[in-house]
Parts: sequence; structure tokens; C-alpha cells
Amino acid sequence: MADILQTLSDSMAGAVETVGKSTVKVAARRRMPATGIVWSADGVIVTSHHGVEFEDNIKVGLPDGKTVTASFVGRDPGTDLAVLRADVSHLTAPTWAAAESVRVGHLALAVGRPGDDLQATLGVISALMPHKEENKYFAQTDVVMYPGFSGGPLVSASGEVIGLNSSGLMRGVSLTVQTPTIQYVVENLLKHGKMRRGFLGVGVQPARLSPSLAESLGQKSGAMIVSVESGSPAEKAELFMGDTIITLGSYKVGDLEDLLAALGSTQIGSTITAKIIRGGQVLELPVTIGERG
Amino acid sequence: MPSIIQQLNESLANRISDVHESLVQISNGRGAGAGTIWHADGLIITNAHVIRGHHGLNVTLTDGRKFPASVIAADDQLDLAALSINADNLPTIKTGDSRGLKAGHWVMAVGHPWGVQGAVTSGVVIGVGDQLPEMGQMQPGREWIALSLHMRPGHSGGPVIDSEGKLVGINTMITGPDVGFAIPVHVVKTFLKEAIGSKAATAI
Repeated sequence: MADILQTLSDSMAGAVETVGKSTVKVAARRRMPATGIVWSADGVIVTSHHGVEFEDNIKVGLPDGKTVTASFVGRDPGTDLAVLRADVSHLTAPTWAAAESVRVGHLALAVGRPGDDLQATLGVISALMPHKEENKYFAQTDVVMYPGFSGGPLVSASGEVIGLNSSGLMRGVSLTVQTPTIQYVVENLLKHGKMRRGFLGVGVQPARLSPSLAESLGQKSGAMIVSVESGSPAEKAELFMGDTIITLGSYKVGDLEDLLAALGSTQIGSTITAKIIRGGQVLELPVTIGERG
Repeated sequence: MPSIIQQLNESLANRISDVHESLVQISNGRGAGAGTIWHADGLIITNAHVIRGHHGLNVTLTDGRKFPASVIAADDQLDLAALSINADNLPTIKTGDSRGLKAGHWVMAVGHPWGVQGAVTSGVVIGVGDQLPEMGQMQPGREWIALSLHMRPGHSGGPVIDSEGKLVGINTMITGPDVGFAIPVHVVKTFLKEAIGSKAATAI
């Protein structure tokens, strides 16, 4: 029987090799190239937003050693993802791991192809940070992000792709964007060329609620409207300066970030309920969410 | 039956105790590096930078014996040196297949970081060959094993072993706290063959 360490070693190199068939070099910046992952066999490549500095004349190095040109499809700085379309039609897409199959403590390998050959580093899943409502799934790892690894896959023990590695989202921490988020962003970018965001048309600042309201509503603050854009969804819904938004749809709103999160994941064109405080009274108003230009 | 982690621990410890036998410490009058016994009759391999500008070389074996050493050959370009000590029947290490190493393979580096005797660090192969983007511009054509592990000063000249406990490289430098570089063992063999003759290179 083979020694367990040898078995482990060969198994890790095997997982790297398997995913390596779907790992490409992305040359879209002046310094060292970054890495990308095949999304679909017809040439769609997902990579890191910060690794794509120029959008013309992008070159993609394929696993078979060939280099092809790629056109720029779109990017989403919020998740550090970018999508390219390589001029090729016979690529190998990897198996993407479901977010639920990843556990803290699992072994994982970061794979990169900044040159012609594959490279890898090993670590464990340190923490999972799922934000289901916003469709944002991130995994934190202790893998070393070697130069050029950005945009490359994080590989599970079974040779599935857990997500896409980014060193651009958090300084000093290796963060991996997981499958559901990649799928959401890639589909949006392929369809619209950009991430569509909901639009309300208000300026807000956080406002502390009165103790009695805070207790009855179960939250300490809301987002007080300090400006309303003319012709905006907010104006049409008759939201006024001085109103304090406390929920939008299913989201509690305590400050600007909450409001942006609520708008980011709400379907554009849908009518949802805004719960506000006006003159000390809680009111509910229907709002039809627009699209940010 | 022990858990898979226990089996793994056992296996790791066994590999390391094998390597320790053939690990030496080399003091150069100012500081110290590591080395590996290549041949039972006293041939030691280490880095050229460990012996550069030395004020008398001494080699200390794992069993505590200490020998004065002489330099047989040194190559600053490759950062390799061959030393000789007056001893025989020394424990040696099996050489492995450095050309067969792939990204993701398990490796361990042994040495004396900050003077800690025989300390081990383990990790995986990042990449191999002469096409590593980080090193390509520095010294084109030179072959490396890039390692994701925690090498420190004092690991220099020490062995890198594979999952079978075989020697696949010689530690040579670090480019960061988590990245080390080793000279592949097939490069060491070529160096010894050219410097000393085929007997030494093929003895093991």
C-alpha cells in the first residue's frame, strides 16, 4: 500500500493538474500576467477585475500553450471580477463547487498560470463569509497568493473549483469569490456588459431612532433622506426630505451601506415596500426600483 | 485504526527522522548554514554562499561529531559547493526525481533557521523549471524549484525532500516569508559530475 503522505502528495498534484486544464494566463496589464478560469467551453473567461488594466489587445494563454486574443466583456469592481471572451471554442470548463460544500478547515490549493506552466500553493479555508441576501459568497484562506495568482482558481481536494482568488479585495488576506457570486456576476456581465444596480434617487445620512421607536422596530438607526432627485423612483413614490427609511423590501436599513446592499440585490423594475418614519409615525409606501445609469 | 491525520503525522515524522541522519551544520567562522551528506566517504553538498569568504570550515554531524572541511568545488552561479570531510560510513540520503515534481506536490525543507537545529518546514511545490515568471528575468535559463513554505536564514544549503523522503533539491534563497527557492537535485548531479567526475555524481 502506498504511504499516506505520497498518496496525499499525488492527490494534490492531481487536483492541480485537473483544474489546470481550465486555468489560463491573462495578459491584460503591464507587469506580470494574471490568471483566469474558463467559464464555458465557447471562450468565456472569468478573471480578477484588478488584473485587467487595459481592455484592448488582451492575450489569453491556453493550457495547451497556444495564445489567443480576447475581447473585454465587463467588470464588477465590487466583487473584483472581470469577464473576457477568448477567440477560441474548445475550452475545458471546470467543475464548480457548491458554496455549501465548502467548510472551514478544508484543505485548498490556489492555482495560477502567470507563465506557461501551472503553479500552486496550499492552505486551508480560514473563514466563510456568506451574505445570502446580496448573493455574495466569500471564503477567506491562508493560501499564499504568489505573484500572478489573482484571478486563478481555489481548488478543493476533489479537484473542483471553490472559487476565484483575489488579493485585491482585502489587503493582506487571501479572499476567494465563491461559485454563486461568480455565476451571478458572469451572467449579468454577459447579458448587460455591466452590473445593473437598483436606483432610488435619494441622498441619505444615518439617523438615530428615538428609544421607543428603536425598541418597537428592533433597530437603532435608519437612513434619513436629505435630498430627492427630481423624476427619480423616490420622487414618484412620494418620499420626502426628512423621511427616515428603516426597511426597503426585506432589508433593514440603518445607513447608506445597507441601502446600497438592498438596492444592489433588488430586481430592477419591481415594486417593493419602503417602511419609513415620517413625523414620528411609521408608514409603508410602494416604491418601483429604477436602474442606476 | 488511527485517523488519517494521525497516519499522516506518523508518515511525516518518519520522513524527517530519515533526513536528519544525513543533515549537517556548516560553520564558516562567522555564521552557519546547512548541508547534506552526499556520499558516505565524506562528500557534503551545500550552497556556495554558505562557504564564501569563510575563515575555516567546520562540519557538525547529527551525532555531534565535528570535522574540519575542505572545499572541493564551488560554483557561485549555481550557488553550489562540494566539501570533503575526513570520515567514512556516513549516512546518506536517497536522491529523488526532481524532474518529476509538479505544482501541488508535498515537500519539506530542513535546516537550521536562526540556529535551531534540524528545523522542518513543509508545504507544496509552487512550480518548477526555468520558466518561472518571477525568476526568469533575474537569471534566464537557470532551473529552480519554487516552494510555498517558510524558509529562513540558516536553511541555506539544506535538503528539500519529497513525499517519499528523497532528496529533490538544495535550499538556496527566499523571496519572501512564504516563498523559498531550491536548486533541483538533477542540477546538483550535473554540477558534481563536472566538478569532480562521474563517480561522485552517480555513487548514490
